[in-house]
Amino acid sequence: MHGRPRKAPKPEDEAASAAKAQKLRALQTQFFSFHHDQIYTKEAVELSAKLLEINPESYTAWNYRKLAVEHYLSQPECDPDSVKSVLDDELKVVESALRQNFKSYGAWHHRKWVLSKGHSSINHELRLLDKFQKADSRNFHAWNYRRFVAELMNRSEQDELKYTEDMIYTNFSNYSAWHNRSVLLSALLEKKAEGFLLKENVLPEEYEFIHQAIFTDPDDQSGWFYNLWLLDQTVTTDSPLLVSTWPTCGSDVLIMGDGCQNGSFSPFTTLLSDSGSFPIILYFNQPVEGVNSSTVTIECGFDKNGYLHWEPLSVSNSQAAQVWVAHLKFPTPELDSSVEVRVGHSKGIISTRGFQYCHPSTFSFNVHVQHVERDSFQVSVAESILWREENFKIYRAQSEESIPIASFDQLCIKNGHESTASNWRTEALAKEIECFRELLSLMDCKIGKLTLARLLMAYDAMSFPFATKLVHSEEVLELYNDLMKLDPTHHRYYKDEHSLVLLQKMTSSKESLLQHCFQYKDSVSSVIGNLICLRLNNLSLSRIGAFEKLLWVQMLDLSHNELQSIEGLEAMQLLSWLGLGNNKLGSVTALEPLRKLKSLRVLDISYNQIGDHSIDTTRYLCSSPLSHSVGSELNKDETAIIDAALVNYLEAFYMLKDLNLNQLDIVGNTIADETFKSALVKIMPTLKRLDGKVLD
Amino acid sequence: MEMESFSSLTVTERDQILVEQQVFNIFKTFYNIPPSSQSFMLELQRENHVEYLTNGLKQLGPSFCVLDANRPWICYWILHSIALMDEFVDPELEDNTIDFLSRCQDPNGGYGGGPGQMPHLATTMLQSIHLEKLYSFIRQMKYASGGFRMHDAGEIDVRACYTAISVASLLNILDDELVQNVGNYILSCQTYEGGISGEPGSEAHGGYTFCGLATMILINEVKRLDLSSLIDWVVFRQGVEGGFQGRTNKLVDGCYSFWQGGIFALLKRLNSTRGEKSIPLGDGEDSGPDSSETTASSDATGKGLIEDLSQGGSHIEKGDQHDTSSRVNSKRHAKVKPLFNSLALQQYILLCSQDLNGGLRDKPGKSRDHYHTCYCLSGLSVCQRSWLEDDDSPPLPCAVLGPYSNLLEPIHPLYNVVLDRYREAHEFFTGS
Repeated sequence: MHGRPRKAPKPEDEAASAAKAQKLRALQTQFFSFHHDQIYTKEAVELSAKLLEINPESYTAWNYRKLAVEHYLSQPECDPDSVKSVLDDELKVVESALRQNFKSYGAWHHRKWVLSKGHSSINHELRLLDKFQKADSRNFHAWNYRRFVAELMNRSEQDELKYTEDMIYTNFSNYSAWHNRSVLLSALLEKKAEGFLLKENVLPEEYEFIHQAIFTDPDDQSGWFYNLWLLDQTVTTDSPLLVSTWPTCGSDVLIMGDGCQNGSFSPFTTLLSDSGSFPIILYFNQPVEGVNSSTVTIECGFDKNGYLHWEPLSVSNSQAAQVWVAHLKFPTPELDSSVEVRVGHSKGIISTRGFQYCHPSTFSFNVHVQHVERDSFQVSVAESILWREENFKIYRAQSEESIPIASFDQLCIKNGHESTASNWRTEALAKEIECFRELLSLMDCKIGKLTLARLLMAYDAMSFPFATKLVHSEEVLELYNDLMKLDPTHHRYYKDEHSLVLLQKMTSSKESLLQHCFQYKDSVSSVIGNLICLRLNNLSLSRIGAFEKLLWVQMLDLSHNELQSIEGLEAMQLLSWLGLGNNKLGSVTALEPLRKLKSLRVLDISYNQIGDHSIDTTRYLCSSPLSHSVGSELNKDETAIIDAALVNYLEAFYMLKDLNLNQLDIVGNTIADETFKSALVKIMPTLKRLDGKVLD
Repeated sequence: MEMESFSSLTVTERDQILVEQQVFNIFKTFYNIPPSSQSFMLELQRENHVEYLTNGLKQLGPSFCVLDANRPWICYWILHSIALMDEFVDPELEDNTIDFLSRCQDPNGGYGGGPGQMPHLATTMLQSIHLEKLYSFIRQMKYASGGFRMHDAGEIDVRACYTAISVASLLNILDDELVQNVGNYILSCQTYEGGISGEPGSEAHGGYTFCGLATMILINEVKRLDLSSLIDWVVFRQGVEGGFQGRTNKLVDGCYSFWQGGIFALLKRLNSTRGEKSIPLGDGEDSGPDSSETTASSDATGKGLIEDLSQGGSHIEKGDQHDTSSRVNSKRHAKVKPLFNSLALQQYILLCSQDLNGGLRDKPGKSRDHYHTCYCLSGLSVCQRSWLEDDDSPPLPCAVLGPYSNLLEPIHPLYNVVLDRYREAHEFFTGS
């Protein structure tokens, strides 16, 4: 009905259509009475055909015909020939209905129903489809039906692939044909059909094919889309990979709290902990399930038990996560202990797309514990932190000091990643890069730039796994800068991508990382003064990433950026001090990742936009009983604290009450008025300092 | 494979250029006329729209035969459009309509397309009285794969999932049994582009993406979707005309103002909408030197709009360079930029989709109809509030293109019903 041209009616047409309407009305009345009385005579069935010819959308009539067919087939005198002829009649009715309206859901569905009976010849179907697909090559009903028929006929995917090729040659802007090609190729590659055993033989040809379309007319978007699918096929590996861990392989970790630092330990591997245990973090390149004490085993001198509870770090409460954490109890203080973690030596870790983890890997590290004097520890964790410029001084690393990023290479070797970075992939990417650089030298093309930016990042990631070297990041940042100017409509999208590349770049080498490593200098402080504060402030970041290289961070300054979300931050399990002041966090639900950070003690979310929006979550959006998985979990005592005036802030209380914070800065948010703050103090008993004021 | 086998200008492109020309001619005319006429052109012709719609409830022309099976839908399109403009239907006409709809309920619980027609999930969207029977009807339409059939022995698709789940949720009869496997079915329809298709294997489509996303929110499984690539896809469906296309490389169509625009209204409620993904897919928007030139030229002629935009923009900038005290003072109006260009879409709806004699349409050159009137107006309502996060307070004048009297009633983006009506219904069915 929509999308079809319509002309203004002429008087004679109007008269004709009025007559038609009258005829329809009469037909309908008759039809409903037949349907109601279950009359399936020849006359009655023909009448429904007439009705459908005028109005193919009349789904009641389609169903009536199904009943009539079933009725006929159940008759004793029914023989195979007459079955066939009955069903053939149905196909004819559908065909004429489709001529009337070939977007009719009911008609297409009826045809499938008839064919599924298995008595009709299907050879005619492809010819019929050709006719319809010529008339409208983007009709998705026809494409759906085509896939259905191909499957029914056992037509090979290769033949169908050939058909998409023909369609593309006829008109290469036909995105439906390109799309079907991607569906067919995926199936062929997945079942490793003959000639499709190896991606490396198939994909380069596809690149050739697509170049013709793109270079012939870079303005047509269909080819670009297919090109992105190819890129994704080139870079993704089916099996999940372990990309990062904490502690890192071969590291010496000092767990301490009493303030005297052993000179031989780097602040990068010194952990301050008040919980009697420390986390082991596994970071995969995609969400996985099945991380448990049998798929991941631990060998260590001090915990003979060997059983560890692995927890998926995902805010959606699902059993799959990209990051998993387990907690190991401290060894006895004087003992130096080594820990060996073996990941995936027995099967069971599986990606959400159903692929097994098949790169068994092992990493080991040493743990040293220094005795903690409880009082001094408490003082240091509770002391006031001021995220002021003058409180930080740049960290001067000792020349031989190990920096967490350096050990990625080791992990990579043990994982056997060489196979994934196989030559054909990098070659294919290099060729594409060259190709689109050439295109861009001829013309200024928005999507060309975006594609080149993605290609360059993919190339760097593939040549140097874990992005330890990013040779192209400057160029990519420049491309996104250009795009922001060239295409302001999509400014925010490019800015997000720009932020991610910037973070990748800053964490890619020891030198660039050290420029952001500071030490907190405060006269009262001794313990904290020995830790590294990673400062990623004032970078106008709109999005954060590169978490796999930041697992070691305990003190993080993200203030004065443009963050609206901190998704992914839950991976940084060591975080104890977090500065998020002067960002654009718009709702208290944006803080959800913090609920997973059990070590977080000091939080600054001042001068954000929390509370500006009263409706900010799916919970308010939707009344479904199923969507209330969280919330309304405040217990009675807590509800008593919150009087009626604060009922709008329930969300905030829910989000904040489980954080074990000692210090919170929330000034400069709409939500943070005096009544709210006084209730907050009651609901967060661990709080010692609120907006700089010491609490009793 | 020879280069020559490709013609130099594709059919799709030729059609696209024709539409762009028509649209840009309208914009050009608009920017060359005096401001007083401009404001007239941007004005929503409420009276004419209401008249056109009200007539539709009384008597439809004979050309509506093919829509006979969709009569409750026509009622919805018309009544919802009227409600968006905060107008009322004459009580007698309203009674007639309600009477008609109640006669559409089948003894088996669902609603049919007209009296005596069999129950169909899409028509059941509208309203219900016999809840238990309705539940058993929806339950019967459920299919083992997780999907729903549109009607007894009917087709299974994402549309059916949405209609079943949204009706059940609106009527407060949603339970685990109805929900089982629905999420898996929808996931199997998300394509590599990022959008959601009608059924597995098909290409991403604006209407289905809205239905799929809304369903996933209703069943609380939205985080299973690849939201990052979904956003990538929908963001780039907005073209140079300001309106949205429904699928990759298709022409702009006013009705996607809601189907695609509504996706943004849903997304802004999801607290964090960006996931981690190394290769975001889903671009393919108009590109290249020519289209950027056309953008540039339309920018030149479109100075007024750009000024409007930059006013909005500078408001944001000011907010950014806060000094704290002013930030706190201006917090009532602190806004988050929407992920799509809201003013450009409003401009498309008002200048290109609006029939000044009443009714709205797909694109210039097409005729008005109730379907497009409904979804263009719904899209307009979404746009006007896209800078706001709080639907209870009115938007700033700079967020509403044209006179402020263009402001429509807010809708509930999951169900596309006017928010006040949703609240009444919700109270009624939850008994609260």
